[in-house]
Amino acid sequence: MKAITVIGGRLLQTAFVLLAVITILFFMFRLMPGSPLAAYIDPNFTPEQQAELMARFGLDQPLWRQYFIYLGNLLQGDLGESFFYRQPVAERVLALLPNTLILTFSSLILAYVFGVFAGAYLAWKRGSVVEQIGVPLVLTTRAMPEFWLGMLLLAVFSFGMGWFPAGGTRAPGAEYDTMWALYTSADFWWHMTLPVLTLAIYSQGLPLLLMRSNMMDVMREDFVTMARIKGLSTFTVVIRHAARNALLPVMTSFAIAVGYQIQGNVIVETVFSWPGLGRELVRAVQTADYPLAQGAFLMIALVVILMNLVADLLYAALDPRVTHE
Amino acid sequence: MTEPLLCLKDLSIAYRVGTHDTIAVEGATFDVQPGSIVGLVGESGCGKTTLARSLTRVLASNARIAGGQAVFCGEDIVGLSERAMNGLRWREIAFIPQSAMNSLDPVYTVGSQLAEVLIRRGGMGRRAARTRSEELFEWVGIETNRLGDYPHQFSGGMRQRVAIALALALDPKLIIADEPVTALDVIVQRQILDQLRELRERLGISVILVTHDISVVAYVCDRVVVMYAGRVVETGPMAATLTAPAHPYTMGLRNAFPDLASAAGELTPIEGSPPDLANPPPGCRFAPRCPFVEARCQTDVPVLQSYEGDHLAACHRIAEAETLRKRAMASETWEVPA
Amino acid sequence: MSDALTPVGKSPGRFTRLRRALGSIRLPLHDPLAIIGLAIYAFFIVMAIFAPQIATHDPNEILFTSEFTIAADLRPGVDGYLLGTTTLGRDVFSQIVWGARSALLIGLTAAFMVALIGSVVGVVAGYFGGWVDMILMRLADVAFGIPFLPFVIVLAAFLEPSIWNVVIAMALVLWRDTGRVIRSQTLTLRNRVYVEAARVSGSSDFKIILRHIVPNVLPLSFLYGSIAIGWAILTEASISFLGFGDPDSISWGYMLQDAYASQALSKGSYYWFVPPGILIILIVSAGFFITRGYEQILFPKLDR
Repeated sequence: MKAITVIGGRLLQTAFVLLAVITILFFMFRLMPGSPLAAYIDPNFTPEQQAELMARFGLDQPLWRQYFIYLGNLLQGDLGESFFYRQPVAERVLALLPNTLILTFSSLILAYVFGVFAGAYLAWKRGSVVEQIGVPLVLTTRAMPEFWLGMLLLAVFSFGMGWFPAGGTRAPGAEYDTMWALYTSADFWWHMTLPVLTLAIYSQGLPLLLMRSNMMDVMREDFVTMARIKGLSTFTVVIRHAARNALLPVMTSFAIAVGYQIQGNVIVETVFSWPGLGRELVRAVQTADYPLAQGAFLMIALVVILMNLVADLLYAALDPRVTHE
Repeated sequence: MTEPLLCLKDLSIAYRVGTHDTIAVEGATFDVQPGSIVGLVGESGCGKTTLARSLTRVLASNARIAGGQAVFCGEDIVGLSERAMNGLRWREIAFIPQSAMNSLDPVYTVGSQLAEVLIRRGGMGRRAARTRSEELFEWVGIETNRLGDYPHQFSGGMRQRVAIALALALDPKLIIADEPVTALDVIVQRQILDQLRELRERLGISVILVTHDISVVAYVCDRVVVMYAGRVVETGPMAATLTAPAHPYTMGLRNAFPDLASAAGELTPIEGSPPDLANPPPGCRFAPRCPFVEARCQTDVPVLQSYEGDHLAACHRIAEAETLRKRAMASETWEVPA
Repeated sequence: MSDALTPVGKSPGRFTRLRRALGSIRLPLHDPLAIIGLAIYAFFIVMAIFAPQIATHDPNEILFTSEFTIAADLRPGVDGYLLGTTTLGRDVFSQIVWGARSALLIGLTAAFMVALIGSVVGVVAGYFGGWVDMILMRLADVAFGIPFLPFVIVLAAFLEPSIWNVVIAMALVLWRDTGRVIRSQTLTLRNRVYVEAARVSGSSDFKIILRHIVPNVLPLSFLYGSIAIGWAILTEASISFLGFGDPDSISWGYMLQDAYASQALSKGSYYWFVPPGILIILIVSAGFFITRGYEQILFPKLDR
């Protein structure tokens, strides 16, 4: 019973935040310099197109009415037409979403798996030289501008040694019948390597330090000492008991990390010319393609908000103290 | 007299703080017979918990056994290899912690924690472990359907029973109980202590019961070991030692505890506080607070000598114990001149 | 959390209070890493202040060789250019030195704003509770839902490209972490006995906040502020790299964008794009080290 109230509350909160962000977006684009129509109408559109858009978005109506039309259109998946591509924004944005998500999740999974083990290891080696060098080193990776790391990797491994391509998701001219065919092709994975590596190196710091910190706390707990008194093996004590407890906050941080990572994507996608939401947002802003910019931003915000929700629910689900009241 | 289950001789435990060692327990000597409950009593900081814990050989990272012997079933566990010692852990020597809440892993059910010990250390199969778990729960008086519950779902007293069930799992010969009832209310205390009695009576298990509460000792123990400032100052059969103590400290302890059964008298505390173990006084450590102190007490360390049979005390004036006892009953004896 | 900082009993004079509040911001001098961090910061501050003296050339000046051609893409050491030149013929070393100014400027300003807004929101929400708290925390929720970098980019579409876009964006969005933590701390403090006593004795809320809450919350604000410096510098670098930064001020991010756009990667001009990155790493790491050392003072943990 309690679980339903908790979930219900979270869902409500998420809906509220979503609405707020959508509203902020609405006002930001309406209040820009230039005519209020500029948010949706490219002067290069034909008069018929312009008229059609004006009607669809009620651009001649008072602002508050426009807001509701906007919301209504949003619910139907209508985000306007891209000035540059002459294509519905929603279509374009949804087509790009998988590219971004693949990058985000691949790099995060890599970062977290590495981070958890390395963090546990550093906690195990508390007080040793390994730790004294390791911790500052990890902090340094978090101080690195992601794009700079990407540039370095590109310069060394792509331009320098020619081991990896310089960008994009596929070899120029390569055609794939379906998305699935593309994503499972070696070509795609080869192109994915450097960007994923860049993001992973940057992101591993958080789970590593978190895991290390948690392990150090947990190892001091009474139940860990008890496990030793029971004569259980080192593996059982460290992994089954200590690590399992230390892992909890790390797993929930994964969900939140997705939200942060997606923002970082913006830059890495640009460096590696990776056709994702981030790069699209940048291009859209550079070319004053406002509907597309709105759409890309909205999609990114949606993922962030959703992952925040997932993080909350995950925490509740994983901690038996919360689920079994 | 039968062969003692555990025989401690001159056991010392040291802590390393910074560059020097602090001796937390010095020259502890006493026996534990099979099927008996020994109360290890003293005020906080006297070293009783350190001593008791050391018998599992799981010590804090800066602590070590600095000398002496602890002969358990014929083998000195001080010198045992880690591997051999681990063989003994839980199977022969088990432990009941002070606060079971923190000693149970919060993310596993109590059933799975019980099964873990039974399977991994007891070599049982799943089904056998389940049966035994149910048996153990019945024994300590918890409904078996609660095996699927998490530690936080139990009350303090119930958690302590879970701890007892865990300790019993592999049929150990010796259970070390570190202040098992301190955190519980009086009624629950009695239930748990009764349970410990049953362990001795029905299963023949020996218990070392660490406590600062002398009434607990009086209720359930066969023998008493009194510690002060890291040393054993008195040991003997419970009744004899508590009714006719031979060491001034024990005499003082008796006065400091209310006895509900007898007429309400005044409580006479022992003034002062225990010495700093980093810099202990030479000679008898109780000398600064002892009402019967003499010159030699401050220079010569008293050794445990027999007062009467297996009732021993470490006091230079042991021969005058009877006289000193009478004086100790008067509260004026304990008053410190202003 | 130590609350030995706040006096109980007689009220101290104004200056005593100020001194105590500032005194609560102690320097983490016990931690070798923190000392290294402080040294690095000192180094950069010197570099920023004395940029005109240290730099060998004007960072914006397009330089020419003795043959009157543009001194483009010269390797380090050639013609006295310590770190070589850019494709446009500008001195890399001078750009690096001047870059320290914008880094520190933006870092410190943005961090100050974030710490200020976050602390004010946190204290007000935590102290007054009720619907004030609810509104402010909903605002924080929304701030958490806004993807920061994309937001800065979108802002850049509307505002003049300037170094202050980052500061504004950070002030609008990144106060959220600080706000939550300070609120938490304020809640704890509010329930302390001496605060209750002060309220019962009729002190005005403002006085109570100033006298009891703020001094105890200040160290935490400072901590989060110092974390924000690093983020501000990294964000500015990212924004400049994407081309949304101020083209008139030479920042390290701008240098990286310039390098990238000028094909420095394929040309292997490591002397151009590696140093700015290294410096960013240095200054942000220094921030982390100092923060960690400071954290040890605020939340002392044994054997860390």
